[in-house]
Amino acid sequence: MLNRRNFLKLGAVTATTTVAGGACLSTQAAKDLPQWGNKDFSPTTGKSRKAIPSACWQCVTRCANMGYVEDGRLVKIESNVNSIRTEGVMCAKGQGAVNHTYDPDRILYPMQRVGERGSDEWKRISWDEALDMIAARMKKNRDAGTPEKVVYHYGRAKASHSKTIGGFFKAYGTGSIGNHTALCEGGKWTAQELTWGGHYDNWDFDNTKFVLNFGSNVLETHTNHIPTAHRLLWAMAEKGVEMVTFDVRLSNTAAKSKEWVPIKSGTDGAVLAAMINVVMSEGLYKGDGEEFLKYTRVTEDVNADVPAKIAAIKAGVKDYTPKWAEKISGVPASKITALARKFATTKPAVLVSYRGLVAHYNGNEGERLAQLLCAVTGQIDKPGTRMKAVGAGWKWPKIPSAKKIKKLDIFDGFPGQVAYPTHHVAETVLPMIKDGRNGRPDMYIMYCWTPAYANGHIGEAIEILKDEKLMPFIVSVDPFYGDSTMYADLILPDTPFTERWTAEDMVDPAQIGEFYIRQPFTKPLGEARDFSDVVFDLAKRLGVDMGKAKSHEDFVRLACENTPGVKDAGGFEYMKKHGVWHDKNATPQQQVYNRPVPESVYKAKGVVLDKASGVYWKPASEADAKKGYVATKGAYKKYVAQQMPHGVFSGFAPDKVNKSGYLELWSPLLKAKGFNPFPTWIPIPEHQKMGPDDLVLTTFKHAAQTHSRTMNCKYLAEVYHNNPAWINPVTAKARGIYDGDRIKVTSEVGEIVTKARVTEAIIPGVVAISHHCGHWAYGRYASGRRAPSTDEERGDRDFKFKWWTENGVHPNWVIPNSPDPINGQQRWMDTVVQVTRV
Amino acid sequence: MTTVSTPTMTRRQMLKRVGAATAGVTVVAAAPMAARAAKQEVRYAMVIDTRRCSGCQACSIACKAEFEVPLGAVRSWVEHVEVGKYPNVERRMLPRLCNQCSEPPCVDVCPTEPKKATYKRKEDGIVVVDESLCIGCAKCLEACPYDARFMNPFKGDPVKTKGNGVADKCDFCLHRISQGVQPSCVNTCQGKARIFGDLNDPTSAVAKLVEEFDTTVLLRDKKTKPSVFYIDADYLEAKKDPKADQYFRLDTHRKEASSKRWS
Repeated sequence: MLNRRNFLKLGAVTATTTVAGGACLSTQAAKDLPQWGNKDFSPTTGKSRKAIPSACWQCVTRCANMGYVEDGRLVKIESNVNSIRTEGVMCAKGQGAVNHTYDPDRILYPMQRVGERGSDEWKRISWDEALDMIAARMKKNRDAGTPEKVVYHYGRAKASHSKTIGGFFKAYGTGSIGNHTALCEGGKWTAQELTWGGHYDNWDFDNTKFVLNFGSNVLETHTNHIPTAHRLLWAMAEKGVEMVTFDVRLSNTAAKSKEWVPIKSGTDGAVLAAMINVVMSEGLYKGDGEEFLKYTRVTEDVNADVPAKIAAIKAGVKDYTPKWAEKISGVPASKITALARKFATTKPAVLVSYRGLVAHYNGNEGERLAQLLCAVTGQIDKPGTRMKAVGAGWKWPKIPSAKKIKKLDIFDGFPGQVAYPTHHVAETVLPMIKDGRNGRPDMYIMYCWTPAYANGHIGEAIEILKDEKLMPFIVSVDPFYGDSTMYADLILPDTPFTERWTAEDMVDPAQIGEFYIRQPFTKPLGEARDFSDVVFDLAKRLGVDMGKAKSHEDFVRLACENTPGVKDAGGFEYMKKHGVWHDKNATPQQQVYNRPVPESVYKAKGVVLDKASGVYWKPASEADAKKGYVATKGAYKKYVAQQMPHGVFSGFAPDKVNKSGYLELWSPLLKAKGFNPFPTWIPIPEHQKMGPDDLVLTTFKHAAQTHSRTMNCKYLAEVYHNNPAWINPVTAKARGIYDGDRIKVTSEVGEIVTKARVTEAIIPGVVAISHHCGHWAYGRYASGRRAPSTDEERGDRDFKFKWWTENGVHPNWVIPNSPDPINGQQRWMDTVVQVTRV
Repeated sequence: MTTVSTPTMTRRQMLKRVGAATAGVTVVAAAPMAARAAKQEVRYAMVIDTRRCSGCQACSIACKAEFEVPLGAVRSWVEHVEVGKYPNVERRMLPRLCNQCSEPPCVDVCPTEPKKATYKRKEDGIVVVDESLCIGCAKCLEACPYDARFMNPFKGDPVKTKGNGVADKCDFCLHRISQGVQPSCVNTCQGKARIFGDLNDPTSAVAKLVEEFDTTVLLRDKKTKPSVFYIDADYLEAKKDPKADQYFRLDTHRKEASSKRWS
C-alpha cells in the first residue's frame, strides 16, 4: 500500500535526469558513485574485468547487455548503460544467462542417435558427417522436386538470424518454415494487424497518467519486458501513476497495482465491451474520441461521418451494460463504470493487454474491443497511450530466394480451422503431420524449438516425435539436451547466445529505434557452432547462393556497413565497441495515421481508388483492380493511402492483411469469414457447459524464468524450480484440499499430479499453474536428467550443492492444442479441468 | 523454496510466525538520526524503497553471479509476503542483505586473535570478513540476527577451516564501490529500489532519504544499528481488520536453514 506522504517526498529526492550516453540515472546516485555500470572488477583480485557489449537473448525482448570476462571465462552479465531501451537496468533472467555457457549438460559435439528414439543412446560424429547427412537429404528432395519436404521449424530466429537461416532455406527452395508465435502472443498481433496494421504496441509509460491493465504481467514478463517494465515502475514511484490490473491471479504486477481486480477467466472482453458502453452512453467520447473517430472505421460505409460512426458504435455496444458484464465477469458494475470514466477522462491513459485477454477462444475479439475502447476515448497512438511501436530498421544484405519455393501446408491449422493465421498455428503442426493429409516432412529441422515441451498435449507430441513413420528424420539444433531434442536423430550443438553474432532490432519504448548487436563473449566451447554459420557451410555443399556474406559475423558486418546512421557512426567497429546506436536527433514517433498524402502520390500513375474500402492502391493488373482491394491476394502490399471524408491520409497502413487505412473496427475480412465485423463479446464455449466440479486452468510466468529455455541456468533454477498449482482456499476446501497436498488435475487430454498452493491470491474457480517447470530433459539442473556424453562436471563446482529435488510439473500435459478460430492463438487459458486430492 | 503458510492465523500469531520465519525480523519505525552515531568519516548505507521493488529477483541473481555464490547460499535475497483475505490480498516484497550494523554482533563473537577475521572497517563502516584469518568456526553465523551470513566452501584454507569454508556475506560490493561503480544489486534493479551512498554526507541520496522519510530498520530492538534502511517496509503491519483471521505466507528462495548447512 503506497504511503501517500512518502510518495510525495520521493519525487524531490530521486528526480531523474539523462546523462551522457542516454542512460537515465538518478542525479544523486551519479554524484555519489559516478559509474552506474559498464565496469566490473574481480572481487578476489580487484582486477578489471574485460567488458564486452552485446545483447541478451533469454527472452524475445533481447536487451542490450554487457558481458564481463575474466581469464577467458564469462563471469558476469549486466545491462549496457548506454541503451535507450533498458536505460541501464536488467532482469533476473538476463543476469542468469551467465550460466548457459558453462552448463555441465551442454552438448558440445554433433551426435547421431544409435538406439531407439528417446533412448538417450548416441554416438559422437564429426561436423562433416553431420552436414553430409543433412545435405544428402536436402539434395535428394531437391532432385525429386520435393524441397518442401525439408521442414525448418524454429522457436526463435530474429533479426539477422532470421535473415540468414530463413534466407538459406528459401534460397534452397523450401517455404516449409514454421514458427512458435501462436504459442506466444500471435493472436494479439493478428488482432492488431486487422485493426491498425503491423504489430507490437508500445505502452508509453514515460508519459502516461493512468494504466488500465487487462491480463498483462508486465513487471515479471513481457515481449518487451525490461524496456517497458522499468518505465512503469518509475512512473508509479516517481509520478504516482496508478495502475489497475484485471487478472485471475495476484501476479507481482497486480500486487504493485493500485488495485487488483480479480476477473473470471476469459471474460475481460465483456468488461471492455461494457466500458465502451459507459463511454458511449455518458458522452465520454466527446473531444479526443470524436477527433480520433475520423480515422476509425466502425461501419460498412467507409465514407461515414463522425455522428454516423458514433451512432453505429452506440448501437453495437448497447446491450453491453456494466450490469450485464458483472454477471459474466464477476466484476461489480460500479467498478466497471468508475474505471471506464477514469480511463476516458485521465489524459493520457494507456490500455495494456496481454495473454490474460488474448490467449482465449475470444482473444481476437478481446484485443479488438481493447482497440475500440482506445479509439472512442482517443487514447491511442499518441504520447502516454498505446502506440504503434518503433524498432530498428536495418538494411540487410540480400540473400536471393529460389525461383520456385514450395511449401507443405501444415503451418496454418487444419482446413477451415483458423480464419487469419497471420502468425501461423504452431500448436497444430505436429497434429497435422500425424494427420498427413497435407503431406509430411522427410526431414524436420528444429531450431531453438521444443515442440514437445512448448505445445499443449505433450503426450501426443512425444508419440508423434517418436514415430519414424510420421517423421523419418529429425534434426535438432540445440546447445542443450532439450526435451524435444532427446527425440531427434541428429543433434547439431548450437552455441548459446553468449557465443553468437546478431544484428538486433527489438522495439524501443522511447519510440526512436535502437540498433544494437550481439557479439560473442567467449569462443564457442567444444565444437559448438552457431546455426547461422552452419547454414553457410550447408549452402556451399548444396551450391546455394547466400549473397555477399561469407558467415554470420560477415552478415552482421555488412548490415552495419549498409545501414545509414550506423554506418556513419563508424559501422561494425563502432558497434563492436559500443554495442548500441540510435539517432540522437530523432524525435519519438507518434500519430502515424494523420499525415495528409499529396495528390501527386495518390493520383500517380497506376494508383487507383478502391471505392468499397476507400483505399488508394496499385493493383498489379486490371483483373486485380476489378476484383477489388479486399479480395485480391496480397493487395495490402500495394497500399498507398486512405481516402477519408476529410481528406486523403497515410492512415494505419496494412501489414499482413487487406485492411483499409482506417483503424479498422468494422472488418470486411472478418465478415467474409462469417464473423461479426464489429468487435463482439464471444463467450468461451467450453465455459458455458461447466459443472460444479469443473475449474478453469490458467497458466502464467515467473519473473526469474523464461518459458522453456532457462531452467538449466542454475541461479535461476535455484530461485524458481517448482510450480505448485495456485488454488483459492474456498475452491480448495470444497475439494478437501489443503496447502501442500498432492492433487490430480484432469482434462480431456490427460492428467497430472502436482502440489497445491492454497492461496488467497487467486480468484475462486480457477487453478493456475506456471510454465517453466516439469522438464524431463534439458540437463541436470532442469530435470535431474544427465545429457549424453556429459560424464564430468566440466568445472562446475556448484553441482554437488544443488539442493532442490523437485522440478515441478508441466501444465501442458493437460492443455489441448486448440487455436482461437480467428487468429490461431493457442488457448492457454481456456482448459476445463477437474481437481481432486490424491 | 521455503514456504510458511497458515491460512487461519490471527495477527498476533502472524507476527510471531514472522519472527520464526525471518530470523526474528520485526519492523519498527527508526529514529534515523540516532543511527548516525558512528564516528567514521564515511558511512556507507543502503536505502531500500520497497515501493519500487517488483520482487523480480534480479538483485539476487546479479549478486550470485558477481561473487559466484555457491548454490544453497545467498548474500542478497528477496522475501515475498502474501497477506490478507481474497480479494483484499496483497503481496509485499522485502529485499534483504547484510545490514552492515554499527554494533555488529558477528564481530563481537569472532574468536580469532590478535586480529578478528570479521570486523567493521573504520573508514566506511562496512563489515567484512578477512578470509585469510577466518578459521571456519561459524560463530558469526549464529550471532547474526538477520541470517545474512553463510559458510562459503569455495573459500579459505581447507586445513585452517577444518573443511568448513569461511564465513561470507554481503560487503556492499566493496570491490566495485572502491572503484566508483555502483554495487551489483543496485545497478541491475529495474525499479531503482536500492539506493546506495554515504550516509555521513548530508548531500547524498541515502542521507536525504533517511532524513526525509519514515524509514525503518530491521530488528531495531536488537540494537545493532543497521546501515540498511527501508521505505514502506510495512508488510508486517496489519492491513485489514486486525480482529479478522489473517492469511499470511512468506516465500523466499533460500534453502531452509541454508546458513547452517556446512556447520
